[in-house]
Amino acid sequence: MKAVERGIISDYDLKKPGTRTVYYLMVLTVLVMVCTMLYPMLVIFFNGVKLNTEVNSFPPTFWPNEWHFENYHNAWNYIKLPLFARNTLFIFAGNMVMTVLVVGFAAFSLSRMDVPYKKFIQYFFLLTLFIPPTTYIIPNFVNLRDLGLMNTFWALWLPAGANAFFLLLLKTFFDGINMEMFESGRIDGASEPRLYFQIAFPLSVPIFATLAIFVFASAWNDWYWPSLILSSDKRYPLATAIYKYVINVRRLDLNLRFAILTMITFPPVLVFLVFQKYIVRGLNMGGVKG
Amino acid sequence: MSQSTAVPIRQSDPMPKRAPGKWKKHAWGYLFLLPAVVIFFTFLWLPIGKGIVFSFYHIDFVKGDTFVGWDNYERILKDPEVVVSVKNTLYYMMLGLLIGFWVPILFAIAISEMRRLQGFARIAAYLPYVVPLVVLYGLWRWLYDPVGPINAVITKIGLEPVLFMTDKAWSMISIVIMETWQSFGSALLIYIAAVSSVPRDWYEAAEIDGAGVWQRIRNITLPSIKNQIVLLLLLQLIATSQNFQTQYAMLDGGPNNTTLTYALVVIRYAFTRQDYGSASALGVLMFLVLSLLAIIQYRMSNRKEA
Repeated sequence: MKAVERGIISDYDLKKPGTRTVYYLMVLTVLVMVCTMLYPMLVIFFNGVKLNTEVNSFPPTFWPNEWHFENYHNAWNYIKLPLFARNTLFIFAGNMVMTVLVVGFAAFSLSRMDVPYKKFIQYFFLLTLFIPPTTYIIPNFVNLRDLGLMNTFWALWLPAGANAFFLLLLKTFFDGINMEMFESGRIDGASEPRLYFQIAFPLSVPIFATLAIFVFASAWNDWYWPSLILSSDKRYPLATAIYKYVINVRRLDLNLRFAILTMITFPPVLVFLVFQKYIVRGLNMGGVKG
Repeated sequence: MSQSTAVPIRQSDPMPKRAPGKWKKHAWGYLFLLPAVVIFFTFLWLPIGKGIVFSFYHIDFVKGDTFVGWDNYERILKDPEVVVSVKNTLYYMMLGLLIGFWVPILFAIAISEMRRLQGFARIAAYLPYVVPLVVLYGLWRWLYDPVGPINAVITKIGLEPVLFMTDKAWSMISIVIMETWQSFGSALLIYIAAVSSVPRDWYEAAEIDGAGVWQRIRNITLPSIKNQIVLLLLLQLIATSQNFQTQYAMLDGGPNNTTLTYALVVIRYAFTRQDYGSASALGVLMFLVLSLLAIIQYRMSNRKEA
């Protein structure tokens, strides 16, 4: 008999009525879980096209009675989404450049170059992982103030280069690249920056893509920290602006609120659904952080 | 010896360390490290060091800082809010384990057993993780509303409506449920990867030996993913001990300080009372306590192995 694809439960077990019932109960539980995951997502969308009175009615309706797509028009006029989205992309791009140049260079040096006192330098970077964020959030704020970086993108960009977790991921990945590639490059007279940009970087696109997901997720999600260091509409990222002008205001109608939330929810969700195969693979490569 | 030919080649070191002319190589290595060293120093080590200094000062952006000795520490240790927040944080960490920690393990095993729709279930579970946090705040405020959909279901089956946000007994539980819903998908992916890397033959062998499904899970699956469980347990405890954003955004620490976590007190000291010195002292205190716990844990695990 040829080996069959099986899990913990075998086909033989499934023929027993007791196990069979347990299996179906289990599948049912998973399906209930799936529904509780999808229901709130659909609620965001459906509430965004209802009349405000319908959103506030009790008991709440799921399917809209009437479809009011003009909500989107009103929502669009309420908040300058393109401006805030541009700021978010600015922050993402800057953070990514810092990751590739600062963190990437350091990881490459630690992994593939001959540097005396390497151990010591490595501890200098990695020990920061043991300091709890609560300890340095306030001094960090005061420090950025002292440096005169308040209300500039630099206050977000520069600290993005101080990420020991990314450094560790990159170094581990570079460690896996065949050393002979660099040796032959050196013999051919390539300079170290060329080795980084023309050999290490192209070979490490998968790990940089993973980091790009992390960097993007934090640029898209972080609302609290930017709200502390930035103080003008011209610079707020999307998340901060939404928190300030949509979540934390009482006067805004609920249906408009949900229309705005729909507009900022579905772009990342669609990107995720389209690229989910690659994204999940990348997240697995990034190990545990998610 | 068959390998004797290799010996003379090994003896001559092809690249003597620090040979003249090689300095360029080290220079490049340090040059590559320089930006990271400067940035790690300026934006991590400098603030960490400043935090310790600030904790002994009264910080005033206008008049300048004044040294106050242990005053800040005395103030925070006498503050009843700090005591409450420590209790709340421990309660929050415990709820996170009771309500949230086992969920991804359970579903990882269940989903990897499903004969079809596996991919779909996995994607659905991960989906909320992709939604921006601020959207979740808006969404869950509506879901938890006294006249929201959850209460509509509760009243329909004949129970008293629950004031998820304003009831003191419920507020922290509501926050943990919301966070579990949002983030268990990422842990789920890790567990699924671990569960599906268990060799299938082990189950086959166990079945032939007469082990039931439950025994197979307990004796094969769970021990095989033990490392992931321990790691994620540690990460969850560390993360929950630092959390404040959800509590701040949903309830601002209320009602009656029941969702006031330690990190939120730090934030309040700094940005509500403008007392950056005491806030830094709270941060230093947290670092000391966590380091102490880490040392104790390290000692204990060493003793076990010895």
